[in-house]
Amino acid sequence: MTPLWGAGGPEGLLNMLSRVADSLYWMSRYMERTEGILRMLKINYASSQDDTQEFSWKPVLKIFTFLEEEEANALAHDTRAVLQFMVTGKDNPNSVLNIITLARENGRSVQDHITKEMWQCINDFYHNIRQDKLADLFQHEDPITLLDNLIKQGLLYFGTTDVTMARGEGNSFINIGKFLERAIQSTDILDVKFSDMNYEMDKTTDTTYWKYFLMSIAGYELYLKTYRGGFEAKNVVEQIVLNEQFPRSVIYSINQLHRYFERVKHEHNKTDFNQIDFMIGKIKSKVKFSTSDSIVAEGLHLFLNETKKGLFDIGDKLNHNYFAYA
Amino acid sequence: MPRFFIHHVTKYTYPEPVRDSANQIMLYPVKDENQEVQSQRITITGEPFVEQFRDYYGNEVGSFMHISPHTQLRIDSNMVVITKPIKFPTDEIAIEQQWDHLIQIGNVVPYIDFLKQEFFNALPEVKQIADAGFYKSVSVFVAVQQLNTYVYDNFDYIKGITSVETTLDEIWKLRAGVCQDFAHMLLVMLRLLNIPARYVSGYVCPHDNDLRGEGATHAWVEAYIPFYGWLGLDPTNNCVVNDRHVRLAIGRNFSDCSPVKGSYKGVARQTLEVGVSVSGEDGPGPRPDSSVLTTQVVTGKLEDGAGDDNSYRRHLQMVQQQQ
Amino acid sequence: MPVINVPKLIFMQTSELMQSYLVDSNTWDEMYSDSSVRDHYRNAVEFLEKLSIEDLNKREEFAKRLFMSQGVTFTVYSSGEGIEKIFPFDIIPRIITSAEWDYIEKGIKQRLKALNLFLKDIYSNQFILKDGVIPAAMIYSCPHYLREMHNFPVPYDIYVHISGIDLIRNNDGSFYILEDNLRTPSGVSYMLENREITKRIFPYLLPQSNVRSVTEYPTILHRNLVSLSPRQIKNPTIVLLTPGIYNSAYFEHTTLARLMGVELVEGSDLVVDNHKVYMKTTSGLQQVDVIYRRVDDEFLDPLVFDPGSMLGVAGIMSAYRKGNVAIVNAVGNGVADDKAVYTFVPAMIRYYLNEEPLLQNVPTYQLGKDEEREHVFNNIGEMVIKKTNESGGYGMLMGSAATAEEIDQYKAEVLKNPRQFIAQPIISLSTVPCYMDGKLKPRRVDLRPYALCGPDGIEIVPGGLTRVALREGSLIVNSSQGGGSKDTWVLAQ
Repeated sequence: MTPLWGAGGPEGLLNMLSRVADSLYWMSRYMERTEGILRMLKINYASSQDDTQEFSWKPVLKIFTFLEEEEANALAHDTRAVLQFMVTGKDNPNSVLNIITLARENGRSVQDHITKEMWQCINDFYHNIRQDKLADLFQHEDPITLLDNLIKQGLLYFGTTDVTMARGEGNSFINIGKFLERAIQSTDILDVKFSDMNYEMDKTTDTTYWKYFLMSIAGYELYLKTYRGGFEAKNVVEQIVLNEQFPRSVIYSINQLHRYFERVKHEHNKTDFNQIDFMIGKIKSKVKFSTSDSIVAEGLHLFLNETKKGLFDIGDKLNHNYFAYA
Repeated sequence: MPRFFIHHVTKYTYPEPVRDSANQIMLYPVKDENQEVQSQRITITGEPFVEQFRDYYGNEVGSFMHISPHTQLRIDSNMVVITKPIKFPTDEIAIEQQWDHLIQIGNVVPYIDFLKQEFFNALPEVKQIADAGFYKSVSVFVAVQQLNTYVYDNFDYIKGITSVETTLDEIWKLRAGVCQDFAHMLLVMLRLLNIPARYVSGYVCPHDNDLRGEGATHAWVEAYIPFYGWLGLDPTNNCVVNDRHVRLAIGRNFSDCSPVKGSYKGVARQTLEVGVSVSGEDGPGPRPDSSVLTTQVVTGKLEDGAGDDNSYRRHLQMVQQQQ
Repeated sequence: MPVINVPKLIFMQTSELMQSYLVDSNTWDEMYSDSSVRDHYRNAVEFLEKLSIEDLNKREEFAKRLFMSQGVTFTVYSSGEGIEKIFPFDIIPRIITSAEWDYIEKGIKQRLKALNLFLKDIYSNQFILKDGVIPAAMIYSCPHYLREMHNFPVPYDIYVHISGIDLIRNNDGSFYILEDNLRTPSGVSYMLENREITKRIFPYLLPQSNVRSVTEYPTILHRNLVSLSPRQIKNPTIVLLTPGIYNSAYFEHTTLARLMGVELVEGSDLVVDNHKVYMKTTSGLQQVDVIYRRVDDEFLDPLVFDPGSMLGVAGIMSAYRKGNVAIVNAVGNGVADDKAVYTFVPAMIRYYLNEEPLLQNVPTYQLGKDEEREHVFNNIGEMVIKKTNESGGYGMLMGSAATAEEIDQYKAEVLKNPRQFIAQPIISLSTVPCYMDGKLKPRRVDLRPYALCGPDGIEIVPGGLTRVALREGSLIVNSSQGGGSKDTWVLAQ
């Protein structure tokens, strides 16, 4: 911790405050998480209308909430209640309402580091989700329309960020947060879905199951184009883990994470940088050089768990090496 | 002219590394016609640069930082000080004239600061004693000694039942404490009689264990005697201060004179140990690091880095932010 | 300068907008004089009268939406939940003539010069006490007189870099000083934002009306901050220190940081090492040269002031004393805007500048003095009593509006520590038109111009914050007490 240079740093550029980097990173993680939750809710709702048997929300509740087993069971078959709980539930720390509030608090504390347009997107989203009438609407109106509106607000934020945010360090931390969150989410979703069927790869569930699953992560159309022979669990794993063209795949997310991380290298933080760079590199090659067969052979649950742990470790290390300011 | 070798250690220990520490020390003996500092050496963990300045009351203050993670902060101060015998007031001026003089200077700087007494619940009770009447019928010099004796007689010297946080009300109720509590009580009484009175921190240098206040920093009082000046009174030892006290700092109260204070980030738990050893010219010479350390009570008022998991502290921060 | 031809004869009272505008005869109205519109309001009034009520309502709604969506809000916390509020904005501008402004400007500059000399003096030689112009007891009993600042060199001897002095206008039409805000005055972002909103809701009106611009404010402030840098380097690091996102002025902190292009930091972003201040960045520590702080003195340095502060930086006073960092405003200014010390400001102007004050004080009684306290208690119905060290309308008593019980309680409070209270006769603040449900209605206002003091002198951006008591008959303009604000126009000659 020695002083580095005079005012302004190299070429008069300001270095980014650790706290600012931290807030940008979390703002971005929360926005990405919101998107994941909303998409998941929308498709599961559609699926619940298609189901001949009684539809269960339990997998969704398992991925996105901290509910105890019994609480999740109690809620699992009440679609409207789940939607309310997941979107506007004040007591649910992972409700869209609470996550957007966190995203906004983070955004608010770095308002001078994001563009005014981005701030307005997040702020509008926040005011929108806080309307008292929203909980009511989820009880009586068409959930798809409501969720679509919220998803669009998220998309507006992503688009605005892409178009307006300067390609500096701030943008890098935004993307680091975004892709780390996405990689964790995709790993999580896959793990929960397969735990449903005890990781038995050849157990064929009906087509609708896979269809809605892929739709919920916007991967249905790509699947149809890639695999002609109907649904197979192994192919689903392959697409979600290994397909470099699929924007929600684990490998795509890790590649992007790496790409943006490389940009926050400084003259003065080589050690800090190298540690994390090594961790990302390690997990990247592990995933990259796997095949759907090797994953199945290793055990899907084990593979996913290790990947997830690797991703969490990266998050911890980022916190330690880049954001430690408290 | 007595010559003293003093070694003063202050040691903070933390169970886990703390950082971003900033500290202030008031460990520099006063240099004036009654006190000469022959030498002083202060060593601090991490060897930080100590910036010195003079505060409003004329005390020398040092400040330093230690920001890298550490589990211990130790400050060693070694000094050789010569004190000179004091000429006491001759008390020749008419009694009434003395008390009149005090009224005249009541609103004059610097005395104004040493007359103001903050309100506390027992103040009226204390006032009754000070107002008893006979104090103002004797000279100021005699009155201050009588009050000095009053505190000595009515308060028990007990270590460990009070801390720097103890309020005047609590001390009054306990009728006991250590030197700084004795000093604070005497300050109140003197000020109630309109006698400017200031707090003094320093060291006491006993002959044969004949004085209380050894092994740690000592505290006493200086009262303003008209047509004379400031006179030291040690209520813990029931004496007028002469050449066996070494002065470090003066102020309105303890917090103006705190010998060592600091702030850091990290765990709230800490251990403070303090030791002071004094040896006279004729005694054994200075033995560095030989002081016996005694654990002190510290209350954790500091910046807690782990505040995020503590909703009380998070709330407090929210409230402060709203200022 | 464009010349605007305004038809001289308009029968205002007949228009729907104006028909219920009833001016109190004992009050100075900024728009009306002898039942005709004052010249400097004509252009705006004519413009407004051309608009339909629906149109005006739409513009008012538009203004609200703009404030909300830009996050120009403050948060009120109750039961752990934050509620976003906008500082109510009235769409009708308050207009000040260039002659009025010139006088205000001169008066404030004179006052600030004296106040700054006072701060320098009180923290060094104390000539003013030695000469008996101000009693020492007045200063030494002030909680904001910081002995830590004694003989403490501040760059260029400037203490008050930024001030927001509050003015009011009495029924004789002259401006009086209500209070001096010399610590961390807030509200300047509303001066800037209100103007931006006017541009959006009334396009073309500003250029037609010959209004002087306020946009220079951040530029001047930034220039002054740069000039204070202890290191003579090309790009000194300047930061704005905020208490954090829960502060009601957080929006302002963000706005100013953004407009000046300086870093917005919290206490936890900074650390002091070897008597220099650094900020913690993703690539290590970077030295900070100038701190524009919006954190109060008592929270600034837990080592020197409140040890429980979580907003400050331990050791910062040491870096400041050593001259390694400049702090704006200087520490210890509270002694000069104490409401009891306020009564001596005219004496300071005479003492330090050998001039007569241009702007008068509101007559003020010190409740620490027995005879003045008695006078106030006997005439309490015509008095407003305030705490000397509070601002923002907190802890005050409006004698005319209080119940007997409230008065008794307040008196008891005063008697505990009379020095901490002052009283002023209730002044009938001037009124301006406000847009209320399709009509213009007179409401009371004050004026807070923002003065910036740098090594080259004092500059005041032509404008300020006009606060308005939106409730009918109310005299209290503070936002905490139901006040709102207006765009403030200073006309060019």
